[in-house]
Amino acid sequence: MRSNGPWNRVAERMQRSLLLTAVFLVLGYGFWVSPDLKEIAAGIALFLFGMISLESGFKAFTGGALEIALRRSTDRLWKSIAFGLGSTTMMQSSTLVSLITISFVSAEMISLAAGIGIIMGANLGTTTGAWLIAGLGLRVDIAAYAMPMLVFGVILLLNRSRELKGVGYLLLGIGFLFLGIAYMKEGFDALQEGFDLSAYAVPGLAGLLIFTAIGMAVTVIMQSSHATLLVIIAALAAGQVTYDNALALAIGANLGSAFTTALGGLTANLGGKRLAVAHVLFNVMTAAVAIALIDQMVWAVDQISNLIGIAEDDFLLKLALFHTLFNLLGVVLLVPFVKQLERALIRYVHFVPPPSEQPRFLFPEALETPSTAVTAVRNEVAHLYDNAHVLISHGLSLRRRVIDSDASLSDAVRSTRRIMPLDVDDVYEKKIKSLYSAIVAFIGDVQGRETPQHWTDQLYSLQEGSRDIVEAVKAMKHLHKNLSRFGVSPNPPVREHYDALRIQIAKLLREIRELRTEEPGAITSLSLDSLKLALERSSRERLDSINRMIRDRRIPPHIATSLLNDEAYAYEIGEKLIEAAHALLLSDAPGDRIVEEVLALDDREIERMASSAEEKTAR
Amino acid sequence: MKTKNLLAKLANFMDKDRNVESEELATIRGVLKKLKTKEHKLREKLEANPGEEARAELQGKLDVVHAQRVKGLERVKEIRDSHREPSTPNATAETKTTEE
Repeated sequence: MRSNGPWNRVAERMQRSLLLTAVFLVLGYGFWVSPDLKEIAAGIALFLFGMISLESGFKAFTGGALEIALRRSTDRLWKSIAFGLGSTTMMQSSTLVSLITISFVSAEMISLAAGIGIIMGANLGTTTGAWLIAGLGLRVDIAAYAMPMLVFGVILLLNRSRELKGVGYLLLGIGFLFLGIAYMKEGFDALQEGFDLSAYAVPGLAGLLIFTAIGMAVTVIMQSSHATLLVIIAALAAGQVTYDNALALAIGANLGSAFTTALGGLTANLGGKRLAVAHVLFNVMTAAVAIALIDQMVWAVDQISNLIGIAEDDFLLKLALFHTLFNLLGVVLLVPFVKQLERALIRYVHFVPPPSEQPRFLFPEALETPSTAVTAVRNEVAHLYDNAHVLISHGLSLRRRVIDSDASLSDAVRSTRRIMPLDVDDVYEKKIKSLYSAIVAFIGDVQGRETPQHWTDQLYSLQEGSRDIVEAVKAMKHLHKNLSRFGVSPNPPVREHYDALRIQIAKLLREIRELRTEEPGAITSLSLDSLKLALERSSRERLDSINRMIRDRRIPPHIATSLLNDEAYAYEIGEKLIEAAHALLLSDAPGDRIVEEVLALDDREIERMASSAEEKTAR
Repeated sequence: MKTKNLLAKLANFMDKDRNVESEELATIRGVLKKLKTKEHKLREKLEANPGEEARAELQGKLDVVHAQRVKGLERVKEIRDSHREPSTPNATAETKTTEE
């Protein structure tokens, strides 16, 4: 599976523009032909706006409860399903839950299997919407409940507090949902007087397939299976569609919601793509089984309706029951095979690396919540660091496997006969610059949204960290020029000096790599202070050594200046790598940051310790 | 006396700065404990008579951990002193309560 290239993106934009134009033209014609259609369309628009407001409302509470709940509730499959069911029921939007799940899977915060569980649960959760609309929405004067919610919602929206604004959006969302349902109900009732859609009912298998396709198309256009279900239930209540055709539309609505997630998954990274594929497979399988066993399912609905007291002619509640049953059937069929599905997706859905390094974690879905955005940035900065680690290793003429093992660095360096040729500029362009640009652009996107201070501070640290990585690589570029000339010099003092430089940087790379395998936190990042001290001490020793060689005239002046410059570059590489590691090693916990600020040694303290060690050695 | 105790507790609860400092104190103590363990382990390794280069490296780490612990203990003392200081109203209520 190849990532999107520029031509694919142009094609996508053209398709979206054409679709938008077609929708506008059809609606415009429809409004001109039928005033009742205006009311129905307005009802759908209000309903969709209500769902958008609900999403905004819930997002005000993300960065905390939702993410904590998601992380804790996905270590078992049944928990993932329950989470998907619960959150979709509460938020009345499987789209938001699916997008958050894709962002978490893309950021590797939850496993693919857990993501599949949540998607299954979310599918079940959408059925509660059908019950709400069929059981309540169309039987009471729901507009009367909407109005006070809209008023209170707007008042809360005028508040400065993020939480109160969030509650405001929630109330507005529910208010608009109710208002949308009311308009649609009136619209369909009015339409019935002038126009009888049920005359176009198609019986049998043909009807089943045609109306499934219509349900899918409507959901794709409206990007919401909830809105489609509302249309179906309202149309059924007004007698505009037959019960059989309504069942087929409901199956189509399910298929359409998978298409929406699939579109979102196209722009995600590998994890997100795999999850989108899983969602499509799950919904297609569920739809296929429902279509194949439609008669048996209708029979089951009738039997269960009798048991739980649903009237024989209450087709609205029967539709809601059918919707629940066929989604439940899908879950029951897939649950035993989730692990196999995960393995198959990992095996067959691949990532083909493009010529220049692309970000692995920075996808639009990661912007959904501050914590997924920061995690995505941290993972990408870690990716950037890994690339820099390889480049710097090669720049030192050491294999990565030597640095990443316990092999003696002194032996490896001293046994070097030839400095590896390396086009640092080329590698920088391909492996570093593209990632750095993507990180900076992504952070810009996050900062364009309302983000709490705690997360903004972390983004700032990570941005600084990525800049430090780039500066370390640039310093390596300068160092490598003279390393190529003098690194294996026949002049022993020169050779010794460059060997010492290479060992020092290699050691630092190894120690940082080991620290990165530990749990992020205050203790791990405080360990960087000993690396700073080691860097300071070894740099002073080498400078003293160069000065002695100059005094004793063991090296010519032009070599001395090169050694001094290269010592500065080596120091810069070490300093920048330590700073970058600091950004990666600190945890999210605000407590850790405060403690680290208090306990960490500042530059003056490091210099003082290095000086006192020098004095001890001199004595 | 009960009313004064209650008022002192209420004052402590409402005093955000004090609560933040108390949290900081608890976190620093946790980290200091881990640093102490780390210092012990480094000393043990040093006593095992490693080579010259390893010795210098271990000594450097030990110096750093020791310096971090000293800073941490100074901060702990600072926070404790600020909680005991009689010039702040809360401390006045607490000191009076303690004396009673």
